[in-house]
Amino acid sequence: MNDNDPTGQPLDQAQAVALLDGVHAEPTLVRMMQAGRQIAALREVLGRVSIRIGCVSSFTFEPIKPALELQALRAGLALDAYVGPYGQFEQELINPSSALAAFKPDVVLLAIRLQDVCPALYDSFCGLTQDDARTMLDGWFDRLTTALRTFSQRSSAYVLVQNYDLPASAALGIADRAAEFSQRATIGDANEHLAALAGELSNVRVMDYDALVAQHGRVHWGDARTALFARIPIGNKHYWSLAGFYVRYLRPLFGLTKKVLVLDADHTLWGGVVGDVGIDGIALGHDFPGNAFVLFQKRILDLYNRGVVIALASKNEPGSVEEVLEKHPEMVLRAEHFAAMRINWEPKPENLRRMAADLNLGLDSFVFIDDSPVECEMMRAALPQVMTVQLPADPAGYPGLIESLDCFDQPKVSAEDRQRGALYKAEAGRRAFQEEVVDLPTFYRRLEMRMILFVNHAAHVARAAQLTNRTNQFNMHTIRCTEDDIRRFIASNDHELITLALMDRFGDNGVVGLAVVQKGDDAWIAHLFLMSCRVLGRTVEQTFIRWIAERARVAGAKCLIGEFVPTAKNKPFAGFFEDCGFRATDSTGDAQRWALDLDAADTKIPDWMTVEVGG
Amino acid sequence: MDEKQKFRLIVSEVLQIEEDQVTDYLSPEQVDTWDSLNHINLIGVLEQEFGLTLATENLERSQSIPGLKALLAEHGIHV
Repeated sequence: MNDNDPTGQPLDQAQAVALLDGVHAEPTLVRMMQAGRQIAALREVLGRVSIRIGCVSSFTFEPIKPALELQALRAGLALDAYVGPYGQFEQELINPSSALAAFKPDVVLLAIRLQDVCPALYDSFCGLTQDDARTMLDGWFDRLTTALRTFSQRSSAYVLVQNYDLPASAALGIADRAAEFSQRATIGDANEHLAALAGELSNVRVMDYDALVAQHGRVHWGDARTALFARIPIGNKHYWSLAGFYVRYLRPLFGLTKKVLVLDADHTLWGGVVGDVGIDGIALGHDFPGNAFVLFQKRILDLYNRGVVIALASKNEPGSVEEVLEKHPEMVLRAEHFAAMRINWEPKPENLRRMAADLNLGLDSFVFIDDSPVECEMMRAALPQVMTVQLPADPAGYPGLIESLDCFDQPKVSAEDRQRGALYKAEAGRRAFQEEVVDLPTFYRRLEMRMILFVNHAAHVARAAQLTNRTNQFNMHTIRCTEDDIRRFIASNDHELITLALMDRFGDNGVVGLAVVQKGDDAWIAHLFLMSCRVLGRTVEQTFIRWIAERARVAGAKCLIGEFVPTAKNKPFAGFFEDCGFRATDSTGDAQRWALDLDAADTKIPDWMTVEVGG
Repeated sequence: MDEKQKFRLIVSEVLQIEEDQVTDYLSPEQVDTWDSLNHINLIGVLEQEFGLTLATENLERSQSIPGLKALLAEHGIHV
């Protein structure tokens, strides 16, 4: 400790991250305390999101607060925490003028232990009958349900409830497992009941506290002395882990989940330097250390399969790495699993910057893993917003490191999450492809584009509404529609909603464009015409308007009309009508009308585009 | 740093007072910040930093500098 008071000095992001990494490496009370003295400076530089959290508990929660604030900042979350006096959780939740209510929390943490509200289940189990237990638990859940429902009526705050941990030793000893009235089963049932209750209340989530205690070991989790003396049941060496546990559930609520894992290659995916020892010399296989790397890759593949974006940043000749990815029989991860690969001799921070731009994801959602302390230091200094994790010296510790990463956690893993890797790979394919362009028609043909058009397709209502609200650049009139607006267009006899889906050689782009046309006898008027900027510049938009023009002509119309209204964002649309052979007619204020004479119009579909009608 | 210095530093850090305020006869009445929670904190830090475990019955009687010194002395640590 130094003579200067460190509390007033500002920190830059790298210093702040280093300070908290230091606490994480050795979470003693002293380190937490010292870091806590600089909480204001840490909040200033690391707090990306600020929230108010109300902690209500059945035990003395105050000692956890410093750890909670610091762990939250590691995740980018600045907490303004209210800790209620223990044992008053019901009044806090139910009373509309309670201190908790006045605090107006964004999140409530409900740290209630079953040992505190139904002590007999833990302390006197052998003297209870099954009915006694049932009555006790029913009574408790009635109280809890009332408190949660009452609170939820007044507040839309999330309520995170921790579940109930099993005792370290069953009261019935070895007889518990086979017992008809088992302590473990009883507490397990209580946890099921809690999960069901959370299922009924949209803002309530359960935190698996039992799993946390089991992970650390039930025997040494608690501290009997502080529990009996001060009602602090958790041992002080676990405050940091407990705080991290709570933050694990907070992170995804506020958009702070990490999304990308960037890996090194040498000494990370395999043992050895492939540039030096060749593909046959690297350690990757069935015996140690090769099997540690295989297991490590399997853990990463599992992350891939639950929606984490995987990328590679390696200082190597591209050929050496690509050969291993393609040909080594023991590789678990292959080129297809990497949404981005930067294999070159440039500084890794620069590679990550480019990856972030390519993937369109913020660097603060990146995790960087490398074995080299030098690379890690460089990354921490250059890009402190990236979470840098150095691999342990012993490869046996590699798989466990991946297991310990909780920053990718989400409350649910969706079907879309499982697809994410493939979607990103398809995008990467398209990008790489564009970098080796020949002449345009050849480029278009190589894309193997297939347009599928749907007319008045009810299944596209939600997506159509979303497109009208999110598309700003290639948007003729920038009219925002609700789903009901879209349904009205579909229902109307005079109007048609035409949605456009695009597939190409790299995959399915989904529904990327739409038009709403009003079908008059002489003229068809396009009221909406828009396309996602992701698919512009490939003649999709021109083909779309030609298809609509042909449709209008076949219906007997003489003219197709559109009205362009310029905004701050839709400059990309400005020359479109003119390029497609429309002529400018009248204008009102900013709005310019354009008309296409259908008799003379060229409505030919280019040879590189396949057009189908779907639905 | 010797044990005496370490002890004084810890007390001053936990209670947020100047090191020279940590006199041999300091007690909770004289320090606003020496409440029961901070006392638990102090015990926790002393245990972690000196690598010892204090019996529960001692948590009460150690709520003063003389009390803490006596307790540590029982563990062979002389501050």
